Amino acid sequence: MTDVVFPVISQSDPDAEGTLATWFAEDGAVVAEGDLLAEVAVDKVDMEVVAPVAGTITLIEDEGAVLRAGALIATID
Amino acid sequence: MSIDTTQQPATEGDPAEQPAAAPATKRLNTAKAMVEAIAREMERDEDVFVLGEDVGAYGGIFSSTTGLLDRFGPERVMDTPISETGFIGAAIGAATEGMRPIVELMFVDFFGVCMDQIYNHMAKIHFESGGNVKVPMVLMTAVGGGYSDGAQHSQCLWGTFAHLPGMKVVVPSNPADAAGLMTAAIRDDNPVVFMFHKGIQGLPWMAKNKRSIGPVPTGDHVVEIGKAATARPGSDVTVVTLSLSVHHALDVAEELAADGTADVEVIDLRSIVPLDTEAIIESVTRTGHLVIVDEDYQSFGLSGEIAARIAEHDPTILKAPISRVAVPDVPIPYARPLEYTALPTPARIKEAIIGQVAPA
Repeated sequence: MTDVVFPVISQSDPDAEGTLATWFAEDGAVVAEGDLLAEVAVDKVDMEVVAPVAGTITLIEDEGAVLRAGALIATID
Repeated sequence: MSIDTTQQPATEGDPAEQPAAAPATKRLNTAKAMVEAIAREMERDEDVFVLGEDVGAYGGIFSSTTGLLDRFGPERVMDTPISETGFIGAAIGAATEGMRPIVELMFVDFFGVCMDQIYNHMAKIHFESGGNVKVPMVLMTAVGGGYSDGAQHSQCLWGTFAHLPGMKVVVPSNPADAAGLMTAAIRDDNPVVFMFHKGIQGLPWMAKNKRSIGPVPTGDHVVEIGKAATARPGSDVTVVTLSLSVHHALDVAEELAADGTADVEVIDLRSIVPLDTEAIIESVTRTGHLVIVDEDYQSFGLSGEIAARIAEHDPTILKAPISRVAVPDVPIPYARPLEYTALPTPARIKEAIIGQVAPA
């Protein structure tokens, strides 16, 4: 099982809170490595989260969740 | 990163979007779907290039070109100075020499400073040359309000462009159509104005909208310019609309179906030049009731044109006078409550539909 975590967007402020803006992957979907999973936003900066490995994804956090870098947002089996 | 994702399994999506033996799709928002379509055509044809204000490093202020600079370099993705006349003129020149530019006018509201290039040159060179000179270009522009950006950044204005001969005008409402219409626009030998509403881009910093994310075919995908789509079949009332208003109309239609008020058919025009008159007439012939929802100004525009085409065809197909839900003839207000009084909101659409099926 591989963790998918909320990425670091701001190197000057790694503890900045951000929003899990959009899930493009659906719970239980089979994803390939590099697939677009989600988009997160910190202030007005958006960043894509892509699949680190192939497998079946389980979503942990909902859209709209406010999180810090490193927070677990999904797992891939 | 390659955009060839044909190896990828199909994701679950809206069944209405996927015919039998559906091609592989992936879920994207409208902005990313536009970028993928542009990138695919840039890989396919080296004459395709992009220029405009902030289309490079910034990726388009509504994310219509995000990542293209990294993938294709500064010779094919060009940030321009703030001179719409200059850079749209440059695109027209490139198109007449055989290239296929995609030029972004950041907000359609800015057309005033560059309209000579657009309607006296881009739209007319083909005619004036007796058909000898083609102008195969896409003028891409952001339209629409709803986010308090004021009277100079919130208009739709598609009726203005459609009124002037010589340009095709396409206005997608969802990711798959945005990709398919962009591909068709790039491959078209005529100038095509591609108008995308900021509210359907699926951007995290704009209002969330569930219909701005959806399955997009990963292979070659073309939506024919000039063909409307039945976004929702129905038998009581026809709603003819486009762009963000399709989302609102579908939301209202689902609500009215659930409570048994009306079975609403929603026609998504997708293109307004050419206008799919046949699809409108076919639907209204069945329902007898027409609501036109248009986020452009009400007078002298798309809603009046649709009414005229029905009147020219056969006014007796209507069982009741038509209803128009459009922006009243005032500049879009900045103040949020006033702005939402002017816009074709779900509440106004619902009232118009109920007025058709249950006249007071």
